[in-house]
Amino acid sequence: MTSIIKNPLEHNVKHIEKGAGLATAPRDFLRDLNADNLSAGVVAGIFGLSAGVIHISAGTAAGLPQEFTLLWVISYLLINGLFGLFLPAYYRLPLPMANSIPGALLFAAIIPLVGLNEALGATLMAGAIALVVGLAGWMSLVMRLIPMPIVMGMVAGILLKFGTNMVMPLQNALVPATIMILSFFFAARYLRRVPPLVVTLLVGVGYMALSGADFSSVTFSFKLPEFIMPAFTLEAFLAYGLPLALILVGMETPAGVGLVKGMGYKSAPANAITALGGFGTMVSAFFNLHSTCIAAPMTGICSGPEAGSHDKRWVAAVIVGIIFVTAAPFYGFVFSLIEAMPSYFIAIVAGLALLRVIGSAMHMTFSGKHEVGAMFSFLIAVSGIQILGIGSSFWALVLGAGLSMLVEFRDFDFSRDSSTSREAAASAR
Amino acid sequence: MSLLKDASLPAITAGFIAVLISYAGPLAIFFQAAQSAEISPQMMSSWVWAISIGAAVSGIGLSLWLRVPVVTAWSAPGTALLVTLFPELSLNEAVGAYLTAALIVFAVGVSGSFDRIVALIPPGIAAAMMAGILFQFGVGVFTSLEESPLLALGMLAAYLGFKRLFPRYFLVLLLLVGIVLAVGLEGASLAGVSWQLASPVPIRPEWTLSATLSLALPLALVSLTGQFLPGMAILRGAGYTTQARPILTVTSLVSLPMALFGGITTVVAAITAAICTGKAAHPDPDKRYVAGVANGGFYLLGALFSGSIVLLFTSLPVTFVALLAGLALIGAISGNLGAAAAEKEHLEASIITFLATASGMSLFGLGSAFWGVAIGGAAYLALHRPWAPARRRGALATGEKP
Repeated sequence: MTSIIKNPLEHNVKHIEKGAGLATAPRDFLRDLNADNLSAGVVAGIFGLSAGVIHISAGTAAGLPQEFTLLWVISYLLINGLFGLFLPAYYRLPLPMANSIPGALLFAAIIPLVGLNEALGATLMAGAIALVVGLAGWMSLVMRLIPMPIVMGMVAGILLKFGTNMVMPLQNALVPATIMILSFFFAARYLRRVPPLVVTLLVGVGYMALSGADFSSVTFSFKLPEFIMPAFTLEAFLAYGLPLALILVGMETPAGVGLVKGMGYKSAPANAITALGGFGTMVSAFFNLHSTCIAAPMTGICSGPEAGSHDKRWVAAVIVGIIFVTAAPFYGFVFSLIEAMPSYFIAIVAGLALLRVIGSAMHMTFSGKHEVGAMFSFLIAVSGIQILGIGSSFWALVLGAGLSMLVEFRDFDFSRDSSTSREAAASAR
Repeated sequence: MSLLKDASLPAITAGFIAVLISYAGPLAIFFQAAQSAEISPQMMSSWVWAISIGAAVSGIGLSLWLRVPVVTAWSAPGTALLVTLFPELSLNEAVGAYLTAALIVFAVGVSGSFDRIVALIPPGIAAAMMAGILFQFGVGVFTSLEESPLLALGMLAAYLGFKRLFPRYFLVLLLLVGIVLAVGLEGASLAGVSWQLASPVPIRPEWTLSATLSLALPLALVSLTGQFLPGMAILRGAGYTTQARPILTVTSLVSLPMALFGGITTVVAAITAAICTGKAAHPDPDKRYVAGVANGGFYLLGALFSGSIVLLFTSLPVTFVALLAGLALIGAISGNLGAAAAEKEHLEASIITFLATASGMSLFGLGSAFWGVAIGGAAYLALHRPWAPARRRGALATGEKP
């Protein structure tokens, strides 16, 4: 194949997967835009915006100042959103970018211990590690060491909370919750044209308006990310940088790639996602932000059947980027608006949006291979345990893969076909 | 007497092991239920006495009558249900619900429509409900990891090792290793364990609507789908053409008096049945019924010394019981989750059933097991109802383009 090389990077970096390119992306974006991928993108975007609540609660728990937390979230949206415009457009795949939620919790917890600049220095090093792994093409090796059922067990375990949170509002907001969930079921079954999530959103907002939701707390503000200089200490690197690198390489990329592969996109560019995420994380370190990586829950929404025609779902991911970049400076406003809606509103919408993703993740987790490892990975991720200050999603992968090697080694690729994997490892070097 | 002529050491050993496994694993769940109900050791020993007598009488009777190794036990998923319902549920209500559940099983048994009724329940929904009920026990293994890391790690390692090396005896070995670890690491003392005979305590039944909906109905449902269904499948898989009717009828009738002493529904064993129905019990299928009789005999012994069994469990740390129950159920959890996720035809409804059951929600005083089936059933009707012309069914079920 002789193709004109558009991207100079491709010259030097042979492990970075080739994509469709950016030249015709704006035109193709308009051509492929439709109601399904628009609504999926909007839902994923709203989901991403609401994830700022996690940062805010983590920041509050660690006693970080409000102004920093707001800057943190604004950087999250603007920087992750910019990278999220580029990646899905280049590969024409539903690959929205955001940051690592486990990483965010680690980051907020470490700042009081080592200082903000030092934490960001560790972020920079973690990004560099991810960049090197991606450029060297080691992702396929990492993913062979941590097989898909185990990764999906961890993903299903993390997503499970979103699923149970969808059901919980039935306890104290029975009427709106029932109306919203039923509207989803019936729209899924009887309305051919309209995506069920849009129906649920409209029904939900309609109910809030009729029941007299209070919008008076909504305030307007405008803010941009601020530059900050990272500092380097070994302590910060060991306590937070190294775990973050493992989370980025061993968890975020495999989770995202696993999801899109599960949705039928076999050519997901694992090395490029890791490398770009690593580079993005290095940029993030200068703007109060702890990471840039593929976002598993939003990937689920953008790449799932909700997003319509298979070859056009990439548009949904680009829309997420547009929403992020547009909303970032106004996040103070968006946040007060989200606050005005009852908390169960976003819980129900997110749960319904993720329902099929949870289903397919569980389907892949319990597909038969790596039975013990996948089950342990799932249970560990659900349990939310912390060992050595590192969260459960990391241990789900490490312990899941470790136990799987102990009790069901024959399920691993390299045990059946060790010669080809050795070749792959050699060529990767 | 032909029983003496047919008796063999392998069959008796099989019966013994089946009882030992029941006491080693599933009893830990019942014990957790007792802990959440905050009952006295004396009451607990009455419960253990009642479930043991129920299993003994029905097992010996059915095995001798049908000449088939009928291994009976108590409803393990039923006991798991109890853990979430106590202490809001009173003992009297629980007993009333046991009676109602036994009557439902009896009605199903007498009508002879067990196979037809079970076939009506979508398999993914039944499996998802089971998984949702048992789920918290699996997660409990890893939350124990934070509380007592050494005990948890030791028992996890023992579980993995024994599961791989001696899959048949792993629960018994796990119990022994766990006790040694609990004594060595957690400083548990077995000094208080002594020979103590059973002391049955009668409980007055009480019927309430909420206990009927959140305990009796789910209990009957999980007993039918989680115990009788796999139990009958194991019997039939071993080549016995036994009808379900006598087994359901006898076990449910035995359940009635036992319920008055705190014994949860007597059912066909699912976890331990295969031990007594396979070749290991006896080469001749016609002589394996002895294993069923022996199983019942050892349950009688257990019933007699239920006081000691309870003393043993109360001497051990709470985390030990949680770990034992969780590890005993991991296979059942992954099996049921796998079965639920494998039914692609109604995957969303199964997932909703699982989510609602596992969420632990409660509404109008009814527990999550009821809501799991109610919401999951509603989702099944709304999304996948098979008798309506479903245009989008294919797209919904697989979510994939061809």
